[in-house]
Amino acid sequence: MAKQKCVAMLLAGGKGSRLKELTESLAKPAVPYGGKYRIIDFPLSNCANSGIHTVGVLTQYQPLVLNSYIGIGSAWDLDRRNGGVTVLPPYSESSEVKWYSGTASAIYQNLNYIKQYDPEYVLILSGDHIYKMNYDIMLDYHIEKQADVTISVIEVPWVEASRFGIMKTDESFNVTRFDEKPEKPESNLASMGIYIFKWSVLREYLEMDENNPDSSNDFGKDVIPAMLSDELKLVAYPFQGYWKDVGTVKSLWEANMDLLDDEQDLNLFEHSWRIYSVNPNQPPQIIGNDAVIKHSLVNEGCVIDGEIQNSVMFQGVEVEKEAVVKECVVMPNARIGRGSFIERSIVMSDLEVPENTIIRNESDDILLITEAFLAEHTQERTKLEEA
Amino acid sequence: MKKSMLGIIDVTMYPEELGQLSAHRSPAAIPFAGRYRLIDFIISNMVNSGIQSVAIFPSSSPSRSLMDHLGSGKDWDLNRKRDGLFFFPALSKDGQLSRLDEHRDYFERSQQKYVLVSNCTTVANMDFTPALDRFINQECDLLEITHKGKSAEMYITSLPLLMEIIDNRHKTGYKTIKDASEDEKSPYTRCKYEYDGLLKCIKTINDYYQTSMNLLEKEKWSQLFNEFQPIFTKVKDEPPTKYIDGSHVTNSMIANGCNIEGEVNHSIIFRAVYIGKESTIQNSIVMQKSKIGHNCVLEHVILDKDVVIGDGVVLRGTAEEPLVVKKGSVVENVVASS
Repeated sequence: MAKQKCVAMLLAGGKGSRLKELTESLAKPAVPYGGKYRIIDFPLSNCANSGIHTVGVLTQYQPLVLNSYIGIGSAWDLDRRNGGVTVLPPYSESSEVKWYSGTASAIYQNLNYIKQYDPEYVLILSGDHIYKMNYDIMLDYHIEKQADVTISVIEVPWVEASRFGIMKTDESFNVTRFDEKPEKPESNLASMGIYIFKWSVLREYLEMDENNPDSSNDFGKDVIPAMLSDELKLVAYPFQGYWKDVGTVKSLWEANMDLLDDEQDLNLFEHSWRIYSVNPNQPPQIIGNDAVIKHSLVNEGCVIDGEIQNSVMFQGVEVEKEAVVKECVVMPNARIGRGSFIERSIVMSDLEVPENTIIRNESDDILLITEAFLAEHTQERTKLEEA
Repeated sequence: MKKSMLGIIDVTMYPEELGQLSAHRSPAAIPFAGRYRLIDFIISNMVNSGIQSVAIFPSSSPSRSLMDHLGSGKDWDLNRKRDGLFFFPALSKDGQLSRLDEHRDYFERSQQKYVLVSNCTTVANMDFTPALDRFINQECDLLEITHKGKSAEMYITSLPLLMEIIDNRHKTGYKTIKDASEDEKSPYTRCKYEYDGLLKCIKTINDYYQTSMNLLEKEKWSQLFNEFQPIFTKVKDEPPTKYIDGSHVTNSMIANGCNIEGEVNHSIIFRAVYIGKESTIQNSIVMQKSKIGHNCVLEHVILDKDVVIGDGVVLRGTAEEPLVVKKGSVVENVVASS
């Protein structure tokens, strides 16, 4: 294999349990977002746009959709003779199947993949985040700072800091302290789960970590603290711009709503930094005679005859006449029946919402409309009508 | 493989009456239905009918836009090790059969038994297998596909017979397959296959405009687009279309990547178009990447690609004679600037 300066390893095995039924049959990186994308389109497009063309994608949980989605990487122009995308599932060594027990062990088990490219740097990414970033600039920063590890950080609101890995740095951004989900954060610089390692350093510490029976094999909990206590040069790379970890149904909904906000920084229309995705090959959207569309994102293949407000519609969604969809995210190929009303919800893919279904939501939470939700909803309504 | 067919697309047919739309491009590459080019329909129909070898015979100078659009044929799944997509530029201008003869190696090397010869501007979503079955079952020599009794200018024949027609062209005086098919004195068994779905061969600007507008009727639209026989096209990575406050869109077909702040009624908007505030677009076609400013009125207008319409411009054509604005033009409001 030809040598590559930098190899990216994309951790895409996340289960995302707090996304409930959305991740019942697919991994979190495969969750649909923004009317036509899946979350993993963002790191993959960032790689392609940053000129990093060798990307190992580590899958584990519910890999079917994700694997077939990634394919040979053509959608991101990552089908290369040298490098390109390689999907790396866990494998068995002699008798024992080794699941990826943590982020570090996942990379450890694929050291051979990295070795064949003999890189100088390894970029570790997460498949769970929505953001646009030029990794090449971060790599230049890493080289310029002569760091062993560079960790991309973003300022988060102080109240949320205890949800993240928090970094304390000196005035030249050298990391002096790292706390994984601290109860009393001493800083609001959160790790974005994006690391650049010197390959030699990464290899040494992964081997050490694997041999340590007390380790949980996690970058944030084990590997980074070990490097810090050995006084390696750890540098924070401050990132400014849109970055979102969509861990819950509500945050996924919010991230979609962010796209409707003209003030936010995640511009999908920027031609010089396109977000690529697998094309569903649908005809243009059809807007009917009585349709009303206010402040929404609508993808191709939609047929809109009803009213939509402040909503994000994925490909192939149908909204029938007299139906009203308000502040919703409607996943691919769902159909909203005539006369229905739905607000503040995420509607699952392929769901048929029957005619005249009324789902009001005045709570602060976001509803996830699934087959089961609809069944219960109909039952309750029948009870009410009988009473 | 017994029923395998070659697909031949002749791209030199009728560029004359498409006026401005074909001034800078092959008629095959004229943008159509929001995200397609005319040639997408015939290629997709061929691919969906199991044809794996498609040969395109462009005019002497293959147009850049057509070459750029088709690329390796990947978007139609025609980037194959065997067969796939071929380009055979014409060396002479002697008529279809001579142009096929210039590339007879292709025919001699092909394993397929049958050939479908088609024009490049027919809009339809049809499966050619029933036509081929009729050709085989009725032991035809030359089958003409018709629509409402008129020729659709698509022909099926066998590969050996095509070679024979090519070889004898000087004797018979045939310049095209069509000539052979229409000659009542020809020794061949001629058959017809009537296709009763939606089909329109785009030959004039009026054909283009009417056929486009007809697609805004759902019943016509669904004859052209269905999930089982998809129309493939070159993929562009546009985000979903954004409807901004103030937009009002009805009875229209809208592609991805647009930003719409104005009013759109009974129109077709291609990808990455911007429509400004208080502008009204009616009965019009706006091709990709055009920008329409604020307070504009467009009625019965076809805007080609990359057109910029300044604020306050009013453009009106008629239903019979839509106004065509040339690719890349900049139209400013003269009254306002003087």
